[in-house]
Amino acid sequence: MVELNDRLIEKIKQLIIQRLKLVDMTPEMIENDAPLFGEGLGLDSIDALELVLGLEKEFGVIIPDAEVGKKVFQSVRTMAQYVLEHQGTA
Amino acid sequence: MKAFKEKTAFCFPGQLQEKPMLEDHHSLRGDPHFKELLKRASSQTKFDLLNFSSGGEKKEDDLSLKLQIATYLLSMIHFYRLRTAGWIPDIFAEHSMGIYSALAASEAISFEEGLFITEAIGRLLKREGAIHRGGMASIIGLPLEEIQKICQDLNGFQLSIANYNGSMHFVLSGEEGGVEKAISLALSRKAVSATRLAFNTALHSPLLHSLREEIIEILQDIKIQPLKVPILNHWTIKPLRREEIKDFISQEIGRPVYWIRCVEKLLEEGFTQFIEVGYEASLTKLMRWIDREVEAFSAGDRL
Repeated sequence: MVELNDRLIEKIKQLIIQRLKLVDMTPEMIENDAPLFGEGLGLDSIDALELVLGLEKEFGVIIPDAEVGKKVFQSVRTMAQYVLEHQGTA
Repeated sequence: MKAFKEKTAFCFPGQLQEKPMLEDHHSLRGDPHFKELLKRASSQTKFDLLNFSSGGEKKEDDLSLKLQIATYLLSMIHFYRLRTAGWIPDIFAEHSMGIYSALAASEAISFEEGLFITEAIGRLLKREGAIHRGGMASIIGLPLEEIQKICQDLNGFQLSIANYNGSMHFVLSGEEGGVEKAISLALSRKAVSATRLAFNTALHSPLLHSLREEIIEILQDIKIQPLKVPILNHWTIKPLRREEIKDFISQEIGRPVYWIRCVEKLLEEGFTQFIEVGYEASLTKLMRWIDREVEAFSAGDRL
């Protein structure tokens, strides 16, 4: 497994805040392992579409289908891990 | 302070998909409009918003009907809150059953008449769902052409596009048997998400055309007053005329919602502020997809 770094984690948090226009939030308010959907950050499927597009634009990483999306969008850490493993492979 | 007056659209959302959470500490609970409208509603209908919210009513049979009434009440409460806070809309846009609260807010009908219509049509839909069970599915992440193909590939099940919410967001509606099939096809064709919505009727599909006469009957004693704020008709993309309102309501549940068309028209007209008049931020999120630069927020989040 490739190692995650704080800079990528920070960039993922910035991406979430910008794409979803979470104007009242800062990166520090998002925990690395907190669930993004439902009980956690409270995101929904419309937010997922924004994040899919955001990952593609920002990192050139494709989420091919809903099943992969479900795994990737579990938390900031899983998003960062996916970016790390798939950047440059699209 | 801005030197010019921005053009502001109030957007009235359709039915909530989940029970609203109005815990004791919720900011709405202390609001005078909240207390007053709940009191007025309880003298007309048996529905109790706080009881519904807290999960006191276990029976799920009437879930859609209760969600419809809750949506109406919360939109009206938020409308009065916005007005008290000094917000002045130039136009109303509405999504699906948001038409009832938009009409009451524009004073074309009274609050009580809006509540009556919401409940009466809700009961009609409940009856229809018991006789001809239908369903709806929200599909996100596929373009229109793919959605149209899905509708054609359902082995004879009749499903049609009920909501055009964005370039990659559609709702399908129709026969119950076709809903799961459509969801599975959408997922196999790489949708970001495909989920069933909390409806047991084929809302906004031609399968509900047959209810038109009964809706006209529901509306027969209601006198439509001049609108204080225009409401954009999402079929014609022009303000809804007073004389066409009853016809619009009677047809609305059997025809699609063209939300994206409505928003694009308002953007063309120079609208720069879109305020969702409701508990959630569903229309605000759709707005973000259509135009990322425009200011959009939900009264439920900000006030």
